[in-house]
Amino acid sequence: MSSTTPGDSPEALDELAGEYVLGTLAAEQRAEVQRRLENEPLLQAAVDQWEQRLLPLTALAEPVPPSALLWKRIERSLGGQAASITWWNRLPLWRGLAGAGLAASLVLGGLLWTRSVAVNPPTYVVVLVAPQDKAPGWVIQASNSQEIQLIPLGAFEVPEDKALEFWTKADGWQGPVSLGLVKPGQTLSVPLDKLPPLQPNQLFELTLEGAKGSPIGKPTGPIQFIGRAVKVI
Amino acid sequence: MSLPESFFDYETRLQRCAAGERRALRELYEQEAPRLLGVAQRIVGDRALAEDVVHDAFLKIWSGAASFDPARGSARGWMFTVTRHLALNVIRRTNRDIAFDEHHEGWADAVDHDGPLQAGRLQACLEQLEPARRECIVLAYVEGYSHGQLAARLDTPLGTIKAWIKRSLNALRECMG
Repeated sequence: MSSTTPGDSPEALDELAGEYVLGTLAAEQRAEVQRRLENEPLLQAAVDQWEQRLLPLTALAEPVPPSALLWKRIERSLGGQAASITWWNRLPLWRGLAGAGLAASLVLGGLLWTRSVAVNPPTYVVVLVAPQDKAPGWVIQASNSQEIQLIPLGAFEVPEDKALEFWTKADGWQGPVSLGLVKPGQTLSVPLDKLPPLQPNQLFELTLEGAKGSPIGKPTGPIQFIGRAVKVI
Repeated sequence: MSLPESFFDYETRLQRCAAGERRALRELYEQEAPRLLGVAQRIVGDRALAEDVVHDAFLKIWSGAASFDPARGSARGWMFTVTRHLALNVIRRTNRDIAFDEHHEGWADAVDHDGPLQAGRLQACLEQLEPARRECIVLAYVEGYSHGQLAARLDTPLGTIKAWIKRSLNALRECMG
């Protein structure tokens, strides 16, 4: 089983993913899967599915109250990690991010102002931000529940052999649904007539996929921008 | 005191962790540490080692919060995934010998109707497996048994165990979609 390679059939990948999640792989096979997961979105997607399938089995282990010292140990270790996470606490960075947030609000306000003259005011707005630095990259506005517009806030480079794919998922849905591929820098109108009406808190994201989009109908690449629907009156 | 999971917003707390808010991690800890410790202890079989695993898991949850992708699964599920795999790494690396008598007998019965799995798709699909094969799946997932340990425990040839697991996983995938 450890002899499987990136050219594996979907069946072989799924088997490997299943045994990895089940826990039956030997140490070196586990290490190999963990290495491959970083670069193989198909394997990662298969593993994600197995994690979800088998998760209810965790309920078979009775809870064990942790010792009072455990949290203190964790806190101490986090303190020691400060070097790698201090960027969160750096004031100038937060000033910059607050500035970026303000910029987004201004842009958004401008959009709402200029675009709401002739049409109904949007009932939902989503600001999609980059997960790492929270920099806003796109806004989505919906002036009715049948169509949304994805509007870029700036230029965004996509590698030549890659594409941005647009996804949404509301609470209670089985999984995310693709809304198609998006060209950087272009405004895109997406009809939502095949989906239930927009909901508050509905998740939207753009992931980096192969040039033709995700081969499995679920996000496989890294998130570039993410946000949730907020109702505006 | 932990809330029923349907009332506890794991995802928002992960987002707060990603923003550097340590209190959010504390809230996740209070909500799930006992269950995560239970899962880890079943696998590593030792209380102190299990606390080490949960310690490492919370560091990983903290540092990985920013890259958590809610489209790929629930935030709560991710916390269990992180913890389980750390526990499995530990036992696979140390080749721990399982003290059979310390473990539950009859896991095959644990997935019967009244068990803690409640009514769900996995429950229904597990019930369709033969009892010995079902037990393999549960022993492997919950107690961290390897192929070899399953063969010894069920007094069945290694090749048969491997084939059972392969076919059981296929059957579960077909059944659950």
